[in-house]
Amino acid sequence: MADATVVKPDLDFVKGVIASGGDSLKKCYQCATCTVVCNVTPDKNPFPRKEMLWAQWGLKEKFQGNPDVWLCHQCNDCSAYCPRGAKPGEVLGAIRKQTIKQYSAPGALVDIVNKKALMPLIFIIPAVLLAVLLSAAGTFKIHDGDVIFSKFASTHFLQFVFTPALLFGVAVGVMGMRKFWADMKQTNKVYSGDLNASVMATLKDIVGHKKFKQCDVSSDRFVSHFLVFYGFVAAAIATAIGVLYIDILGMESPFSLGYGTPVKIFGNIGAIGIIVGIILMMSNRFKNAEKLGEGSYFDWLLLSIIAIVGISGFLAQLLRVAGVAPIAYPVYFIHLVFVFSLFIYLPFSKLAHMFYRGAAICFNKYSGREAQTQ
Amino acid sequence: MADKKKVLVIGGGFSGLTAAVETAEAGSEVVLVEKTGFLGGRVAQLNKYFPKLCPPNCGLEINYKRIKNNADITFYTLAEVESISGQEGNFNVTVKLNPRFVNDKCTGCNACNEACPVEMPNEFNYGLDKTKAAHIIHNQAFPFKYVIDGKHCKGTSCAKCVEACKYDAIHLDMKPETITLNVASVVLASGWEPYDITKLDNLGGGNIKNVITNMQMERLASPNGPTSGKILRPSDGKEPKNIAFVQCAGSRDENHLPYCSYICCMASLKQATYLREQYPDSTVRIFYIDIRTPGRYEQFYWKVKDDPGVTLTKGKVARLTEAAGGDVELVVEDVLAGNKITEKYDMVVLAAGMVPSTKAAKIPGEISYTHEGFVVPAFLKKGMFAVGSLKSPVDVAKSVQDATGVAIKTIQSARR
Repeated sequence: MADATVVKPDLDFVKGVIASGGDSLKKCYQCATCTVVCNVTPDKNPFPRKEMLWAQWGLKEKFQGNPDVWLCHQCNDCSAYCPRGAKPGEVLGAIRKQTIKQYSAPGALVDIVNKKALMPLIFIIPAVLLAVLLSAAGTFKIHDGDVIFSKFASTHFLQFVFTPALLFGVAVGVMGMRKFWADMKQTNKVYSGDLNASVMATLKDIVGHKKFKQCDVSSDRFVSHFLVFYGFVAAAIATAIGVLYIDILGMESPFSLGYGTPVKIFGNIGAIGIIVGIILMMSNRFKNAEKLGEGSYFDWLLLSIIAIVGISGFLAQLLRVAGVAPIAYPVYFIHLVFVFSLFIYLPFSKLAHMFYRGAAICFNKYSGREAQTQ
Repeated sequence: MADKKKVLVIGGGFSGLTAAVETAEAGSEVVLVEKTGFLGGRVAQLNKYFPKLCPPNCGLEINYKRIKNNADITFYTLAEVESISGQEGNFNVTVKLNPRFVNDKCTGCNACNEACPVEMPNEFNYGLDKTKAAHIIHNQAFPFKYVIDGKHCKGTSCAKCVEACKYDAIHLDMKPETITLNVASVVLASGWEPYDITKLDNLGGGNIKNVITNMQMERLASPNGPTSGKILRPSDGKEPKNIAFVQCAGSRDENHLPYCSYICCMASLKQATYLREQYPDSTVRIFYIDIRTPGRYEQFYWKVKDDPGVTLTKGKVARLTEAAGGDVELVVEDVLAGNKITEKYDMVVLAAGMVPSTKAAKIPGEISYTHEGFVVPAFLKKGMFAVGSLKSPVDVAKSVQDATGVAIKTIQSARR
């Protein structure tokens, strides 16, 4: 008994997991069906059974630098076959949320995103901020004549406000990711590896959505994530082309180049991808929800923000073309508000998964553990 | 006793037999109805009882003898209860008697079986072999009378068995009859069914030849089974030397049976002894969530655990697939080691759970059931009683104790 282990349960951690969608946690009786039916776990120290036990016991420190909760893609094969309705898929989702809280600073913003009661602030803060800035610029009104959104918010305004918002989100996310990476190295005692090759292989996985293809019961999640993911990629390309026109070619918005131009093609493909994908994601949540769980507030918040971004953006375009100024400008304002939310809450919402899951997949390659997966 | 009131026992398995003979020997008149063509139920299919490892005929033959020697017991096989009405002291019951097509003149000579051209799956052996439409259910069957399966027999157009029978024992024109009984009390003893493994899709769903159920294992090991007691795997008759047992195949699982089936751990431990005895060079690995050997059965667990050829591993098997050469590939997490392992076995036994027969086939009458299909005694009408595995998964010894106890309640009821 020289090496007696003293278990120090952190009850607040347990309560936190239960409160954020892991309320089925305590039903688990450690049969390990989940680890067997999981197609994405490595064979050595597989998940999610061990995570279920750690979470039940409140062993918060076990999740410090733990890549496994992020290797999980919530295929929900585990929850479908769970004999107790313990929903490991949902529980791991709730644990991931705790990780985001732990690594993404500052804490106040994490709280705003994670507390249901503070939900209005998510929209009110950006709305007030944008309203004040647009009023200062003197463009915060319904303009006469053809609907031209650059009258409402000039391209320079957009660049000056949204670029810092996005940079802030990415910077916080990258800082959190670096902390997480250092913790993973320390916890798993991995001090060397081929970082470049791991990063390249990770990017390849993400581009091909390789992990999603391994899911059984929710193989449809491949389609929905693929659509939303590439929807945003297309939207980003459209934005980049816009930047090219304005800042490099010195063109003025509106470009009046018609619908056959790359900006419009990428923009519309992106919007349709995002809208269709997000609707699929939402409807998938209701499939067999009793067994698999219908997702937490945390999940639905991101789904809702993305849905509003996609729909308001597309709608604003339709209203612009139709020339319905009294509605077009407010809808465009809503679109701007939610895009701004998406950017500044990037590292605090579920969207932060792009940093932490990316890091975990990469670490799994870096440490050589992935090679042990079947 | 001037007005002996009758007691009806529904089900001729070990619980029903016990309730019937105990009640009759205390002086009540008993009618026993059994759906199949023989008495003894699931116990008759076993190779050995746990934990003493004696053959089931020990207990069964004594009960058959007690029935034969007791004029107060009337029994009907191939009999199904169609309705129950009335109340304690005055239940009216109608029973449909399905034709056996064989009368009491049958001597068990087997001539009909030899003549019969129709093959059918042997239900008594859980489909492990074939039998013919004219057959004896098993070689220790009581009553020892052949039976002609009405569903598979081609009827009077064939009649080869009628020609072959020297004793005028076969009448293919027998029709179902309905009888009416008036009884004072009713004992429900319709027993259990093994869980349907086709529902376990991740364990092969019944499509992997060398994945068998625990009851099939009993038949393979039984001297009157399809292989005369030599345990051979179904696909190619090979001697299995490397065998895995999958505990909780359906049990303790809200997707299947949300309860512990109570007997499966002991059954697998017992079956490990069959294998180790027949094949001393074999290895057996039992995968479990928890080994549950209640009460004094713990000693049996220790005994089997001490066998170096038996390994017990914590972890629920959640994937079985067919491998080359008829082997079975198994995936499990060895929980204590923390590794997900994939292994090949010659044969895999699923410790399939117990389902009350009333899950699928309700007994007519005002009887309420739990959503699992069990009967709750407290909700039964006055004068009605339930015994054995109809109330909860239970082993043979406890069924006998339960049925003996219920017999006194039945007698009291019949004499009120």
